Amino acid sequence: MEKILLRNIETQDSHTLTVYQSRGGYRALQKALKEMTPEKVTEEVIASGLRGRGGAGFPTGRKWSFVPKDNPKPKYLVCNADESEPGTFKDRVLIEKDPHAVIEGLILASFAIQSHLAFIYIRGEFAFGYRVLEKAVEEVRQAGYIGKDILGSGYDLELIVHRGAGAYICGEETALLSSLEGQRGWPKLKPPFPATHGLFGCPTVVNNVETLAALPWIIDQGAAKYAALGTEKSKGTKLFSVCGQIQRPGVYEVEMGYPLKRFLEEDCGGVRVGRKLKGVIPGGSSVPILRWDEIGEARLDYESIQAAGSLLGSGGMIVIDDSTCMVKAACNIAHFYAHESCGQCTPCREGCHWMEKIFWRIENGQGNEKDLDLVADVSRHIMGNTICPLGDAAAMPAGAFINKFRDEFEYHIAHKKCMV
Amino acid sequence: MDTVKLTIDGREIETTKEKTVIQAAADAGISIPYYCYHPKLSIAGNCRMCLVEIEKMPKLQIACNSMVNEGMVVKTQSPQALEARKAIMEFLLINHPLDCPICDQAGECSLQNYYMEHSLMGSNFLERKENNRKREVFGPNVVFDAERCIKCTRCVRFLEEVTRTDELTITNRGDLSTIALFPGKTLDNPLSANVNDICPVGALTDRDFRFKVRVWYLKNTPSICPGCSTGCNITIGSTQNRISRFKPRINESVNSHWICDEGRYCFHPLTEVERLTTPLIRQEGGLVSSNWEAALAPILSGLGSATPLAGLISGRNTNEEAFLFAKVMNTISPQAALEVFYQERDLTETAKILMSPDRSPNFRGAREVGVNSNGGLGAWIQRLVEGKFQGAYIVGEDLLSLVPDGEKIKRALEQLSFLVVQDTHLTATARLAHVVLPATNFAEKEGTFTNRRGRVQKLNPALVPPPGTLQDWEIFNHLLEKAGEKSSSLTPTEIFHQISVEVPRYQGMSYSAIGEQGILPTNVSRQP
Repeated sequence: MEKILLRNIETQDSHTLTVYQSRGGYRALQKALKEMTPEKVTEEVIASGLRGRGGAGFPTGRKWSFVPKDNPKPKYLVCNADESEPGTFKDRVLIEKDPHAVIEGLILASFAIQSHLAFIYIRGEFAFGYRVLEKAVEEVRQAGYIGKDILGSGYDLELIVHRGAGAYICGEETALLSSLEGQRGWPKLKPPFPATHGLFGCPTVVNNVETLAALPWIIDQGAAKYAALGTEKSKGTKLFSVCGQIQRPGVYEVEMGYPLKRFLEEDCGGVRVGRKLKGVIPGGSSVPILRWDEIGEARLDYESIQAAGSLLGSGGMIVIDDSTCMVKAACNIAHFYAHESCGQCTPCREGCHWMEKIFWRIENGQGNEKDLDLVADVSRHIMGNTICPLGDAAAMPAGAFINKFRDEFEYHIAHKKCMV
Repeated sequence: MDTVKLTIDGREIETTKEKTVIQAAADAGISIPYYCYHPKLSIAGNCRMCLVEIEKMPKLQIACNSMVNEGMVVKTQSPQALEARKAIMEFLLINHPLDCPICDQAGECSLQNYYMEHSLMGSNFLERKENNRKREVFGPNVVFDAERCIKCTRCVRFLEEVTRTDELTITNRGDLSTIALFPGKTLDNPLSANVNDICPVGALTDRDFRFKVRVWYLKNTPSICPGCSTGCNITIGSTQNRISRFKPRINESVNSHWICDEGRYCFHPLTEVERLTTPLIRQEGGLVSSNWEAALAPILSGLGSATPLAGLISGRNTNEEAFLFAKVMNTISPQAALEVFYQERDLTETAKILMSPDRSPNFRGAREVGVNSNGGLGAWIQRLVEGKFQGAYIVGEDLLSLVPDGEKIKRALEQLSFLVVQDTHLTATARLAHVVLPATNFAEKEGTFTNRRGRVQKLNPALVPPPGTLQDWEIFNHLLEKAGEKSSSLTPTEIFHQISVEVPRYQGMSYSAIGEQGILPTNVSRQP
């Protein structure tokens, strides 16, 4: 398979402008600015079938088309580089190894929505990635790919790289915008949506790093070529960051629709020798876990993973073998979401901590038989009732762990120790 | 305005398209429970208590942030909505101390009320509740209990959006998040105590009122704040014939949902000093207790023979009293110089949101109904100091202590051949009088005030006046009777009717039409 997203990362000094250009970099930008209109760029991206790679999978071109044309306010494009979902580290590779692909994609997207000020909001802990990006931005400024009258096209764009301060919630797009505005990183109510009332109340598009990094190839090679890859509804390729109890962890680029079982066993080398696969969380810690016997014929695309009972999410895959106690794993995940709940709305603020406390009790031999139904109740009462998806992100895995590994939880409650 | 038809709980409702579901439901008398929503603040949508089912929506929606739509079908009582509401109640209560017996909010607490309406279930929470800061003083009028706080952020939004003083914010995350003062700030702006009113739970309480009385023992009387000429609508809460607190009463034409701190606590001086309960008469250099018959007897002749005559009435007296006062004075001496006491102060920008520089709640009304010799208070005082008056009748103001030239005025008042002072307390001015008449305060009487914008509003008696006193209007009735006026025992209603006949601006107004929200003369349909 021809690599699209990871096409450059094996090359020496792939993060520099010289190397990026020598491999066809900024050719798409030339094409877009000189031969295409913003509408044409949007149409091309719609035709490619590219969907948002941050987790929600919303069609990228359509997201752009929601930006009102007649609104006199400035428009903003924001790159969401606040990658902090446990198990997810695919954007980090792009930021560190191919920052120019991200920047070129960002300029293309900005041009498409006619934004003249764009931001990259990068996770605070990505100090190295931040330095790489800053250097890359300096290079493109020198080269004239950002600034006034880019490549003589009359199009202006400024770019600001902004570091977060270490809150998972700021990866949620409206919390990210609050944070970027200098406010507390609290998600905003929807409606209104960012496309009309985003950053500083102006029309704003927030796109994920991986989404933007796919754009130069799509514009350069044409939408049809991209759309030819993948499945009917999930086009192109997607990055998966694989971690946990697996032989070859790492970041993989896979054509959409690739069989999950084959991916785990062949590409990633399977679980360690002598161990048995117990389950896999396919899309970051917030999605329901798939039990080993649910993987079956599931394929790596949005629809197939959903049919199997989980979500493709960010593509942050966590592999769990039979040496792991599922109560402890659930406890760990519950702790993360309780710690990262912003505290704004009631169900998440109170419910996440409550679930954490119940899991902790079970893990430490103080659980009782009513606890499993209680967690299920609490998670159901959080689900769908919160301002932002963090509540769902905490509720989904909690419910799934208990449903799918109930025997381990019951054993823990009855015997006050692990089954494994 | 575009009208929209929607269905809430099976009832078809017509409303306008800029309304939210929670507003449209409230207008139709369907109550949807909420904590963070407040009609005068931005939408926060954080409590999630107002979750309702809206047809064609995949999830429950918060009614406070859902705009009405043509054909929308809302169900506030569907099984999902009821379950969600119960769940929110349970979430809010897991860390909330169940200390209602010692919480000052008990009786007017949304958590208590909604628990009874929407939950009534035991908690499944077995863990220890999170501990947090107790009794943190935020400012002179506000004390905070972090454990009781439900983080609805009404206080934060009030200080951001109404006063624009930004004293409070939220710090920390998750279930440790809490309201806190910004470093170096205290919550002491002129409207600060409103945060106690809008706090739906017992997190912010009033330092002046807390622990004084259980709210269910309060007698609540709608009235008008006597603090300044804005005329904020208030509810007087009283127990055992004493004022316990003022609370703002909603009037969108005057004070919206708020009152200022100065007005809120202005009842203290009225209630904490010993009242006059018997008329006093000067005998051999001293004031001695007397009775009403003896005290009223010398007034007409005493003042009648002491011309030029001066009359001064407080801006805290009602229109009805000012009207009769002018009549009394004009009967005694048609040339009498009549003034309403007036005092201005400087206000900060925040104070100006509500407060008026003029401290007299009824300055405008008293002048309009006849206490007005067109000279102005300054000229009146000048004439008094220069010894141009022989007699004076001063009602409800301690002139000596309120004006800068106290010594000069004292000498001038001492020179008068006849001075009548009518007041609630034995003031410095009253001590110089020949006759002192014990009267009543604004909380004890019925009548009307006209605020600075000309709005006529009604006072209702919250307290029974001390025995031995008479209402100011009763005193004037007696004097008019002695002067030979026929219709002498008029009630405030009858006096107001007389005003509506005799005073052009009040023509056609009826006392009963004033209601609890007051009226402007332009609202009055004039009879031909």
